[in-house]
Amino acid sequence: MTSFISEYWSDLSELFSNSQQRLYFGYLLCALIIAFFWLIKSGENVKGSLAKAAGMRQWLCRSALADYQLIIINKAVFLLLIPLLVTKLSIATAMFELMHQGFSQRSSIDNELPSWLIISAFTLCIFLLDDLARFYLHKLMHEIPWLWEFHKTHHSATAMTPLTVLRTHPVEGLIFALRSAFVQGLCIAVFIYFFADKVDLYTVLEVNVLVFAFNVAGANLRHSHVPIYYWRWLETIIISPAQHQIHHSIQPRHFNKNYGAILAIWDKFCDSHCYSEPQHALQFGLNRKQLRSEHHLYSLYFAAFANIYASCKRYFQRASR
Amino acid sequence: MNLNKLTSAMAIASFATLATFSTQTISAPIYADFPVTVKDYQGDKKTSVSYGGQIARHVLHNSLKKLAGQGNGAANPELLAKMQSYFANKDANRAILDPVSKEGFTVSETDVDQLSKAKNLAGKAYKGAVNGWPGNMTAAEVLAFMVEKASAADAGFDFNNGMDYPQLISKFTMGAVFYNQAVDSYLDEKLAGDVKPNDQPYKKGAPYTGKEHVWDEAFGYFGTPANTLDLDAATAHAIAKGKKEALTAADRNANGKIDLATEMTYAHAYYAASTDKGGKTNYLQTITKAFIDGRQLITDAKGEKLSDAQRSQLLGHADIIKTNWELVIAEATFKYAGSVYSDALKLQAGIEKNQDVKALFKKYIHHWGELKGFSMSLQTSGKDLGGVAVSLNRLIGYSPVLLGNTQVTGIDAKGNYQQSSSVDLNEFALQMLKVQQLLADNFALKARAKDQLANLSALAAKLGSGKNTEND
Repeated sequence: MTSFISEYWSDLSELFSNSQQRLYFGYLLCALIIAFFWLIKSGENVKGSLAKAAGMRQWLCRSALADYQLIIINKAVFLLLIPLLVTKLSIATAMFELMHQGFSQRSSIDNELPSWLIISAFTLCIFLLDDLARFYLHKLMHEIPWLWEFHKTHHSATAMTPLTVLRTHPVEGLIFALRSAFVQGLCIAVFIYFFADKVDLYTVLEVNVLVFAFNVAGANLRHSHVPIYYWRWLETIIISPAQHQIHHSIQPRHFNKNYGAILAIWDKFCDSHCYSEPQHALQFGLNRKQLRSEHHLYSLYFAAFANIYASCKRYFQRASR
Repeated sequence: MNLNKLTSAMAIASFATLATFSTQTISAPIYADFPVTVKDYQGDKKTSVSYGGQIARHVLHNSLKKLAGQGNGAANPELLAKMQSYFANKDANRAILDPVSKEGFTVSETDVDQLSKAKNLAGKAYKGAVNGWPGNMTAAEVLAFMVEKASAADAGFDFNNGMDYPQLISKFTMGAVFYNQAVDSYLDEKLAGDVKPNDQPYKKGAPYTGKEHVWDEAFGYFGTPANTLDLDAATAHAIAKGKKEALTAADRNANGKIDLATEMTYAHAYYAASTDKGGKTNYLQTITKAFIDGRQLITDAKGEKLSDAQRSQLLGHADIIKTNWELVIAEATFKYAGSVYSDALKLQAGIEKNQDVKALFKKYIHHWGELKGFSMSLQTSGKDLGGVAVSLNRLIGYSPVLLGNTQVTGIDAKGNYQQSSSVDLNEFALQMLKVQQLLADNFALKARAKDQLANLSALAAKLGSGKNTEND
């Protein structure tokens, strides 16, 4: 029990102290500075800019309090579940072994390419594959009804703070963990098979350099009320914070838009892309009639199961008629 | 003037005392000079330490390995007879073929009899069936079979069947004789209270008690210099290689020569040093220290029967030795599985590119011979490795996969190898990965040299824990 508590506390504090986490204090600070100067440039005074950049009005609202409760409970749930899940290493090992039976050209390309090229290729490849997989899974979470029931927990946030990034139903969290394990495991296996010990990752503060750049460039503002937008050409490539806020908008025309995590190109290909709309103020949540009760823990954890059960029941009743 | 002399004398005496004291404090204990504790001993020996017979077997093994590489590719009765002399016979006046003196590295002994007379290897080989080799033979029979094949091989190699006999003979002898004798006999049943008791001489008139000599014999089979605790792994390794820069550290009695009985590194002590050189393990010192601590415990009993508490403590030291010795062999097996993995893939690539793969093939056979010898040795401790041994033997095979995708699967009544179709080189490489995985899962390996899966785990670790559930 003591070790569980100690590990739990360590995991929780790592959210802000580990540079591999989106909520690392350094990234939060970067987001705060970017938001502050953005608001100053938009004509706000210093005091107002600081208050808005820090999201002072959001931190204690009902929605944000629900975020905190979810984070605290989910951490404990995941501490118990993660050891039971298949790891990226076991997937990588299985894939690596499987490749010995399917390919025989390994050594023919080995040793012919410079290390920097292989490391760059791996860094880029894992970034792109991970982002694509996140996009596609996100799209499925919206399009498949039973998955949407779990993803609704995230979209029920009516006020957004950087911590909303962890407002996740545990079932969805498990799916995310498996996605990450499969994509990264596969990528590791393929690269190690062909390039052996030449494979490495370009990192800054132990994070993929591309992900680091994304985090430093204000990734945490995606879940905020500061609508930072980019030039249109850039919003075709990278999702701006304002574009992600559109994804959370309750306007029906914004539904099922901007699934992308970092890159916007996937949305462009799949006709789910939407540019930012700086002239329109956005309201976040599931719909206009959203009840305060949807921030209750019971709703956040169990409504999905109840709704899925009701849907199944309706389906079988219709089928039996 | 007298006062000056007195002061100077006192200063010199103080300095000498201090120097002696400091030397004593920094010098680590050695496996030597333990006194005679046998009650009523009548002889003139001043120490009870004796393991000359084991060292004689080490030089027989080294010499046999040397001979195993001297075949000319045809039946050679003369070479076979010479090999038999070192393996199975107890002939007098056998010259030590290895280690021998070389420039800057002189060894004291040139004849096996100078270490101990009438010793052989075959008589001490593991008596159980060797499942890793075809033919349901005992270890002595397997080694005799290999010796015969080696005498007709081409400088030790049989390219048709993928055998490197010097490696197979050497690596398996280390296990089947030295390891087996030490861990399955001397550190096992001979440590029982009523076997070779400490209150009686080992044999009539001997200067050592039953337990003293049992312990010494186990130490001798490990094959490490008496002053190992004063040596680092690289030096212990260099001594076995006969490197002149290691002479000073090795030459404990400062006679300018290496005394093969107490100053040479042999067999698994060499592999422990080799593994420890990587800096991740300390097998050599751990094993040696346990031997010295155990010997001190026996000496402290002063020729009395060991009490239950003393024996229990002694068994604790024996357990440290056995555990770490097994790890030394498992680490070597793991390493050579990694080498065979790389060799098999390179060989496959070479074949696909129509390159001359003769040198690659030789290296591949060489590494497989080491792998096979160590993996068979791992199974000679008397401990039943169960399914691990079965898997090891199946994955490694009776020979490496040969260029036509065949493998040795048996031996016919005339002692000829039989081959059958097998997996290809790529799949054989995969089997080597499974060998490494199997060893890593079943032994607490730390060095893991040539770990072919290490790149995967290092990269997976670099990509983070996967504990976060960030939602966009």
